[in-house]
Amino acid sequence: MAQNRTIQLPEELCARADAWLTGRFENLEALLRFLLQEMMSEDSAKLDQAEEELVEQRLKDLGYL
Amino acid sequence: MKKCSLVLVTVDCLRADHCGFLGYPRPITPGLDSLAAQSVVFTDAIVAGAPTYFSFPGIMASRHPLSLGRTVLGIAPQEATIATALRYAGYKCAAFVAGNPYLTARYGYDQGFDEFHDFMDAAVPTGSPSDEASAVSQLNRWVERLSHRSRLTGASYDELYFWYCQWRTSRKETSLDDLRRYPAADVLMQRAIAWVKGLAEERFFLWIHLMDPHHPYYPPQEALSAVGASAVTARRARFLNAFWNRGDIGPTRWHRFRDDIITLYDAGIYWADKQIGRLVDTLRDIGRWDETAIAVTADHGEEFLEHGVRYHSPVHLPEELIRVPLLIRSPATRSSKIGEVFSHVDLAPTLLECVGTAVPETFIGSSRWTEISTGQMSAEPAVIECLDGCNNPFQMKDRLRPRLLAVRDHEHKLVIRFGENGDTMSSIKKQSEDPTTSKGLAEKKRAQFLRKAAAHLRASHNRKAEPELRARARELRYEIASERERS
Repeated sequence: MAQNRTIQLPEELCARADAWLTGRFENLEALLRFLLQEMMSEDSAKLDQAEEELVEQRLKDLGYL
Repeated sequence: MKKCSLVLVTVDCLRADHCGFLGYPRPITPGLDSLAAQSVVFTDAIVAGAPTYFSFPGIMASRHPLSLGRTVLGIAPQEATIATALRYAGYKCAAFVAGNPYLTARYGYDQGFDEFHDFMDAAVPTGSPSDEASAVSQLNRWVERLSHRSRLTGASYDELYFWYCQWRTSRKETSLDDLRRYPAADVLMQRAIAWVKGLAEERFFLWIHLMDPHHPYYPPQEALSAVGASAVTARRARFLNAFWNRGDIGPTRWHRFRDDIITLYDAGIYWADKQIGRLVDTLRDIGRWDETAIAVTADHGEEFLEHGVRYHSPVHLPEELIRVPLLIRSPATRSSKIGEVFSHVDLAPTLLECVGTAVPETFIGSSRWTEISTGQMSAEPAVIECLDGCNNPFQMKDRLRPRLLAVRDHEHKLVIRFGENGDTMSSIKKQSEDPTTSKGLAEKKRAQFLRKAAAHLRASHNRKAEPELRARARELRYEIASERERS
């Protein structure tokens, strides 16, 4: 079973978020989980890394690196 | 240096080679030609990205479109732009944008403006089905699926369906104004002129984005008459646009109406040119011309089958798309022509120095104003980038596509297609842009371009995380707000 961590947030901020939530997010926990997953997503960074490596390889092939 | 007001006019889809002052033989830009005679004209201005959503971060925020990460669309919250810099310097700032959905507050383009008018309520989405058509559409979709079980019946269905649709729509009277998807330049200019006239003595920054040359091509009748196409009716224009938009045929058949389509496109340019002339006349009439700098450029060009492709999709980076007109008229500077490559990432810093305002530190580009004023601009290759095939960046998954990157100087262009693990060098000077293999060109030049590309990618990779996070958070807020409105 996945372990959870308890965090503390200002009540006023949580109340504002609760009022703002729509059908997409059941509750505040679901919203925060989604946001953290988005922030931790490495899809974009992996593509960037692969592209940088491709160009460096080209330069190596030409003997410039 | 006395500080000037600044006007920036951007014209969507305006090709450099369709401007009279850059050699186009058809007289569709008399106003810009006259303005060019008093301006610094850049004959090799290059965008930072294409199309609009990849180009404008370069124009407004002096950076490449993917510099904050490929998931960021538009301007990040709190990102410095030419508007925020001028507002900070005490300018009154207003923007009038002709209904382009990528240039809205949702994507940060309102930052720095006291007034931001996107005319989105005046823009009409293309292809909106009517209630009457929806039941018929369902039947058609079913027949279409059946027909496309074989290539022959599929092609026959598509052809019949196209002509059936033409017959149906031709039964309804319509006008060019009704068919137009974006507000025409005169609508925007009316509002912009009223705003300028309402100012007291304040210095101002005015940004106007015109969509008249953008497809579907429905210029005003007056513009059609001016380009010698007075016989083109709304019905004819609708047919031409529908035929040009067919996805079931290819270049050989599109080519049949290519000249007619270009005429519609040119008429759109004519109309934009005429309205820009109105603004210039107004600035003269109200006595502000001698204290106002004006820059006119485009976010990208347009293709008309030069490479078998229409419109302005980010599937390659041809000259027709990436080379744009650019002129800067400043009261203090005499007219000249600059032949060196000028990248759009240098535009905002250059304009800020032109009007005597500090350039934000976050701008990647540099001001070239001093070089321009002394007539000695150094040659620097430009970087152009987009996401290969990203035609719908509203969808996040469409932004996770491989990069398409080009490095271009005055003579050559290296295009790297990361999705295909390939690169091509070609010569700009040749009439046709037939790609030659890398073997055919000096290795040294290719290595120089590759090093520039590597440095560009490294800088992007080493970016700060906060702008990207803020931009994603803003998009999420808009998505949720839209869902709330719909529910």
